[in-house]
Amino acid sequence: MAAQPVLDERSLIKVQAPPASLEREPLVGSQHGPGWLSDRIAGVIEGETPGWWKISFAISVTMMTVCFALILYLMSTGVGIWGLQHPVMWGYAIINFVWWIGIGHAGTLISAILFLLRQRWRTSINRAAEAMTIFAVMCAGIFPLIHIGRIWYGWWLFPVPNSNGIWPQFRSPLMWDVFAVSTYFTVSVLFWYMGLIPDLAVMRDRAKTKIRKFSYGLFALGWTGSNRHWSNYEKAYLILAGLSTPLVLSVHSIVSLDFSVSQLPGWHTTIFPPYFVAGAVYSGFGMVLTLLVPLRRMLKLEEIITVRHVELMCKVTLATGSIVGYAYGMEFFIAWYSGNPYERFLFLQNRAADPFILGPLFHVPPAPYWWAFWTMVTCNVVVPQFFWFKKVRTSMLAVFFLSILVNVGMWFERFVIVITSLHREFLPSNWGYYGPTWVDILQFLGTFGLFFTFFLLFLRYIPLIAIAEVKGVTPQADPHHPLGGAKVGGKH
Amino acid sequence: MSTNPHSAGRSGLELSKFRNLPVILIVAGAIGAGLGVAASGKGVTQFAFSWLLAFMFALSLCMGGLFLVIVHHLFDASWSVPTRRLCEHLACLLAPTMLILFLPIAILAKTIYPWMRLTNPDHAVQSKYPLFTTPGYYIASAILFGIWWLYSNRLRYWSLRQDETGSADCTRRMRFFAASGVVLFALTLTLAAILWMKGLMSEWYSTMYGVTYFAASIWVTLPTVYVITLILQRTTVLGNLVKEKTYYMLGSLFLAFTVFWAYVNFSQYFIIWNANMPEETFWYVLREKGTWDVVGKYIIIFGHFFIPFVMLLRIDFKLKLATMLPLAAWAWAMHFVDLEFQIMPAVHPNTILTPGLLSDLGCVLLFTGVLMIVFIRSLNRHPLYPLKDPRIAEAMDVYVPPAAEVSVTPQGAK
Repeated sequence: MAAQPVLDERSLIKVQAPPASLEREPLVGSQHGPGWLSDRIAGVIEGETPGWWKISFAISVTMMTVCFALILYLMSTGVGIWGLQHPVMWGYAIINFVWWIGIGHAGTLISAILFLLRQRWRTSINRAAEAMTIFAVMCAGIFPLIHIGRIWYGWWLFPVPNSNGIWPQFRSPLMWDVFAVSTYFTVSVLFWYMGLIPDLAVMRDRAKTKIRKFSYGLFALGWTGSNRHWSNYEKAYLILAGLSTPLVLSVHSIVSLDFSVSQLPGWHTTIFPPYFVAGAVYSGFGMVLTLLVPLRRMLKLEEIITVRHVELMCKVTLATGSIVGYAYGMEFFIAWYSGNPYERFLFLQNRAADPFILGPLFHVPPAPYWWAFWTMVTCNVVVPQFFWFKKVRTSMLAVFFLSILVNVGMWFERFVIVITSLHREFLPSNWGYYGPTWVDILQFLGTFGLFFTFFLLFLRYIPLIAIAEVKGVTPQADPHHPLGGAKVGGKH
Repeated sequence: MSTNPHSAGRSGLELSKFRNLPVILIVAGAIGAGLGVAASGKGVTQFAFSWLLAFMFALSLCMGGLFLVIVHHLFDASWSVPTRRLCEHLACLLAPTMLILFLPIAILAKTIYPWMRLTNPDHAVQSKYPLFTTPGYYIASAILFGIWWLYSNRLRYWSLRQDETGSADCTRRMRFFAASGVVLFALTLTLAAILWMKGLMSEWYSTMYGVTYFAASIWVTLPTVYVITLILQRTTVLGNLVKEKTYYMLGSLFLAFTVFWAYVNFSQYFIIWNANMPEETFWYVLREKGTWDVVGKYIIIFGHFFIPFVMLLRIDFKLKLATMLPLAAWAWAMHFVDLEFQIMPAVHPNTILTPGLLSDLGCVLLFTGVLMIVFIRSLNRHPLYPLKDPRIAEAMDVYVPPAAEVSVTPQGAK
């Protein structure tokens, strides 16, 4: 073998600074100190309640009230008020359940998986994303519960003795959902709360009224910020991150099994678990962008939730959207590859055949839900591709608009999966067409009221950015940066 | 072999212990393959399948290298700077080396793929026209190698250009190839797995198949890169560049892909098992016969998943040579067994324990020897690491003021 440089303690490696155009932007803008960070984040809670908050809260509470009123209507009347009819017996309720569960994926992914991957940029967005996760899972949980019709028997889903000796059917993926979602919710709440403790102590110490001091102090659990507290906190955080990581993946994998363990064309496909997880992360990040892009401006947090954060979230959205696109492609490819006539029929004649191009091209009538399918493809495959461009990623208006399309697209994905596979059975005489009723639509919109009511309360009473964590990613906390004490070439 | 321009004024690479290893592997592999083929009694069929297995094994490593280069640029990572050049060389093995090694498969395709021998193709084959026709097979294969050649070559070309110029433009060009490459990587790897491996049983289909081969490929590449980095760190100037975090990250990704591989394989199995449709289950039923049952139920589940999973959970294990070197060897063995499970039931339906196993092992050793020669030649021709990578200061945990340059030794700046 020819000569190669050998290891020698005197060997020099020349290290250049990156070209100016490739310099990384700091995670916290303007190199502010820790005090400024505390003031700015806590100031969101301590300042006057903004007008936009009051208006938004009033609208949200109204919508939430409509949702609960309609649930009462449902309980008094039955699921006949929905659009369900043979052969589509899974309608908006399941679509909304899967959609909200998907939204609830970003928070714990940011908190747990990005933490384990040492992604320091997570610190500015993890708190709000975790809160969003919890509220989204609450919204999701409503739908399977009301879907059983007699809500008061919901506790039969749990394996507890009851007077009829009825035991849950553990072979049903719907039962797996119960355990997966409730475990995920529990661990997500614990993880969120534990991360809050140091910040609740900050709020306690800054409180000017006795009620505030008592309330924050109660939940701060006597936190003093001692070395021992931090040491225990870090260990517990790591353990919970480790526990949460498989849960993030398992929840939507199990939701996907609701469909894929069946034999129905369009549902039974082996790629569903990772495809559903990717889709969930995609929609979760879409919602985080929808919420944080306007909030960072309205709450004057642009120097903490920076353009770099928005860009990075756009990149995750692009990556997961592309994985979803790959999965769509594989479904079509394997439907063709398999030669299975039912799969081929479903994908072409139930989903994709539009009246303008594919229908005439393949000489087939338009699919009844072609509009839903192409909305899905446009929003989930085409829209994220705009995030390849830095100009788009750095335009907050564009990101906000595209993130809403991401949410729309993912709702339509669930619509396409559920409805297009069900509305045409193997027997053509059993074919039907599904349409929602006004109750379906208002109930879905009502869950937004529930979601935003909780989220707005969160904004007013809990620090929406992890104060302690974000201080750790400032240049002052970096031993390799001059502000953190480093000298040129690494001598500290 | 030419002299590394970065090695001026330094003594030679102390790899004399390994000097003859590639040749030994080639000779031993050829002898093993010859004996295995002769003893199996299946002649050229056995050789063709053994060669296919070895090819898919080597392809995993090359595709894994290409993937690591692509994600390095997409993530704008710094920890992977010291390993980037190694991965670029791995990726560049795809063409022309792997293309040349593909020729026996191309020649013996009719022996390998039953669908090519059908005079009256059944519905399962006809429905795959024009992909599953003889011209379709060769055209698709040529396209795959063409795309791999283009991307692996361009990524290394601009990387080497940056060694000379240090220009940000080179980084932008690499990012362009990485961005477009990641899409093509996914599509071509899937097509390769379907065309060359799943095509052995053309009636069977699964949307997850490409993902399972992807997971296995990256899984086996990570410990390979780990070991190569370790060898070079201990013997070359790379030792001044590689930090503990590089090994930690490689080990963590190894753990992540251990879980991911198990996750996608379990998902595929579980969904097929639960739906219990004959047109899907037959693929697994075939693999429940004879000793394949033991391979599937015990060796792969425990060997491919549980053992690496448990070992990689500990941070200190990920950083120790004493654990990672045996684990890397174990990963190669398990990937070999996994590919046996995918490919060989088509020719040995009842057992893995045939003389053909010797032939399979021999071909893998032969491939390893050939790839090692080309890889080491590439190492010696070019600098061992990207000299002017914009993230090199971050990789070394040093602060360099804007537009400045410092010289660093393990002890600090000069």
